[in-house]
Amino acid sequence: MHTQINLMQDSLGWKHLEDILEPSVGQCLSLNLTNFLNGRQIIFSNGESRLVPIQGWARKNKHSCTTLTTIQPLKEETTIVAIDSSSIQVAETEEGVLYAVKSGIAIATRGQTQAHFKIGPILFYLSEDTLKHSELDHRITKLILFDSESAKRLIRVRVERAIQLELSHHFTDAILLVDGSLRSSVFEHRSHTLKKIVENGSLYKNTVAGISKITKLRILDKISLPLTKIKDPGYIDVNLIIKSLVRNTIGDTLLVKFGYSYTSPILRLDIATADKDISLGKILGNDSIARGYPETLQLAHHISTFTGTEVSCLKSYVLNKYDVVELASEDIRKKLLGSILI
Amino acid sequence: MKILYKNNTDELILLAMKSDTARKGDYLLIHDQKSNKKMIVQIYNEEYLSSQSLIEDIVKDEVVVASSIENLHDPLDIGNLSRMIRDARLFKAKIRASIDSESKFSNEVTWLPSRVYSKINRMKISEINNLVKRTGLYSIHLGSSGWDDEQFEIYAEDLDGKLNIVTGKKESGKSHLSKILIKTLVEYGAFVIVFDLNNEYGGLAWNGDGTLSTLHEQITMLEPGGGLEFSLDYCGNAAISSMLKNALDMPAASLREFFRIWDWLENKNTLDMEALGNAINTWNTNELVRDALISRFHAICSSGLFVSTLNTSHKGLRFEQLISKKQGLALILNMGKAMPVVRRMIVELVLTKVVELLEKGIIPPIFLFAEEAHLYIRDTYWEDIITRMRHFGIYTTFITNQPDAISDSVYRQVDNIFLFNFTNDTDLDKISKVSLADNETVKSIVRTLPQRQCLVIGKVVRDLPMVVKITPADIMALGQTKTFFKTESRVQDVSSVS
Repeated sequence: MHTQINLMQDSLGWKHLEDILEPSVGQCLSLNLTNFLNGRQIIFSNGESRLVPIQGWARKNKHSCTTLTTIQPLKEETTIVAIDSSSIQVAETEEGVLYAVKSGIAIATRGQTQAHFKIGPILFYLSEDTLKHSELDHRITKLILFDSESAKRLIRVRVERAIQLELSHHFTDAILLVDGSLRSSVFEHRSHTLKKIVENGSLYKNTVAGISKITKLRILDKISLPLTKIKDPGYIDVNLIIKSLVRNTIGDTLLVKFGYSYTSPILRLDIATADKDISLGKILGNDSIARGYPETLQLAHHISTFTGTEVSCLKSYVLNKYDVVELASEDIRKKLLGSILI
Repeated sequence: MKILYKNNTDELILLAMKSDTARKGDYLLIHDQKSNKKMIVQIYNEEYLSSQSLIEDIVKDEVVVASSIENLHDPLDIGNLSRMIRDARLFKAKIRASIDSESKFSNEVTWLPSRVYSKINRMKISEINNLVKRTGLYSIHLGSSGWDDEQFEIYAEDLDGKLNIVTGKKESGKSHLSKILIKTLVEYGAFVIVFDLNNEYGGLAWNGDGTLSTLHEQITMLEPGGGLEFSLDYCGNAAISSMLKNALDMPAASLREFFRIWDWLENKNTLDMEALGNAINTWNTNELVRDALISRFHAICSSGLFVSTLNTSHKGLRFEQLISKKQGLALILNMGKAMPVVRRMIVELVLTKVVELLEKGIIPPIFLFAEEAHLYIRDTYWEDIITRMRHFGIYTTFITNQPDAISDSVYRQVDNIFLFNFTNDTDLDKISKVSLADNETVKSIVRTLPQRQCLVIGKVVRDLPMVVKITPADIMALGQTKTFFKTESRVQDVSSVS
């Protein structure tokens, strides 16, 4: 039986093909792993999410000569306002896509979360017609119509900026915490830009700070090593490095550790203020830090995410409210690839 | 309401929103508009529509709300829809019957209604009655049933010639229902004998406010030494033999000697308590037998159940005389204060005598109400009551708070069960195994029945179990437990009312 299969394989020339393909693939990129992996530290990847070593990368690198500053909590009463939002695709028509957005605002003072505000869900329908008067660049309009991830980002950025702008002149002497970096976006509305928010903030003596849970800049992971060696909260100024790599960032960029533990997460923080030490001290003194992350931002995240029930309710709302006809649909990828049950 | 799926062979799961009002025991009519067939189902349990994500959402929301004050801006009012989903429920319903396109009613259901084209409506009790043709001449108003608290009645004809069980935990309303049944049966001219263990059925003679009830003349209360007294010759040797053997455990040798004395006295026409005592003392017999006879004679004397009739005009109780006098009678045999052995003697005497009278056709059939019968009826008697005696015309209703005290053979013969609340799992297991309805219905409904509500199963409801709220009756409450802290409890009652 085996001989028969081998004969058949040989008749198709598999052996010859293998001889040709092996060097060809090998030439694409280096296949020599031994020289490069031997003796290295490693963390195994977990699908989509980006993992970082708890104790940092232990080996020294060329950027490790940075100054570390510890943060002392300031008990001066300050309002901490955190904003977060999320968007999802709800439905699709022949002409466009229906999205929903949800935002959350959480407020804390004196180390206690005081209140939260849920906004939404709000529905947005993006099609050529609805985007006609959006003042968006032609190419961005095309991108949004064809790429739902970009469309979701556009909606999120616009809604978030609108809320942030309102909050920036609603409060005084407050700290506005934003999820993500302080970076101008092409999706911003011209009257609701991050620059305006920061300007407004300084007019009303508010500080705007953006905290990123993960960063795409791998270099920051390497620089953060000194922060893993101290137990108390602290920060490293990485402004020069970031400015050299990324355009459109607003304020200074720091690597911050808010938690009181060696293993607390190290976060990227963009802050638009003249006195970073005081602002960071106020965050520590007025927000509650859970697992090394401000609780207001956690709460804003939780109240702004869509639950399964809400998604069902939104679909039900669309079906009931508008005269739409639901068509039977299928997942082409699933249908074509199927699955092998083990 | 919508059909979600079929669970077992006879169970449908229905999805209901908060506005869909129904409760355990309610009947629903599922009308399949495509096939024009109807299905009758009964809700026996209610649960939340639950999924892991729904529970996670609820927990998350509660944690968030507990940690800070919530403000909302929900322009589409999605939160309201979400709350509706969180409040959605699943009704578990048993398929009970179906009506085909030609309006023919059947208990055999071999089809499934459409999930798309079916309309579900709550059924009224009157609709169910019409469908199952539940009618009769002698209605017994028990109370109300269904969502709209419709008047609910059974028919005396469905108790006639039947074996019934009223069971439930203590103070759930068993005696109250029994009193309503007795009262109405007597009103319709029936003859009822009650073995009253708590001396409470005498209250039927009075209204709640202490005035005489309309049945006052038809209620006769008897107790040993207080009317429940027989002459030896009226009882006859069959009843006395049964009493000596089964209640007083007299050995066969002594029994033979006893009836020699009996025959001797009877031949002399001097059969009387006093003469019997003298004869036993002077009878020429073995000393051990004499001792056995003397001890039984003393038990008979001290029971207060027998009278000396030779030198008095008092001839003792005669059932046929009581029954011939009145149109409808409840004979309440108070056994609350009697010793266990005397209770057993009463039961042996009464049942043997009544059977004898029925056999001879001297009295009409009677309804027998036996409360906690296991305390005074010997094991072998159960089968006799449910098989032989019903042919003579004794139609028994057992009232008990111990369902396991009644044997399975009784349950197998039972025609109607009135089930009050049980919370004890052992009792529920027992009753659900032997009752006429399915296990799940009994367990689920009975566990949550409030006081004075019962699940009626059997012929009185044409095998469609019904939850009935028993109406309050204007009957004087007797037989309450004598308490030490009477004054304090009264004070508490007054303050709780005010």
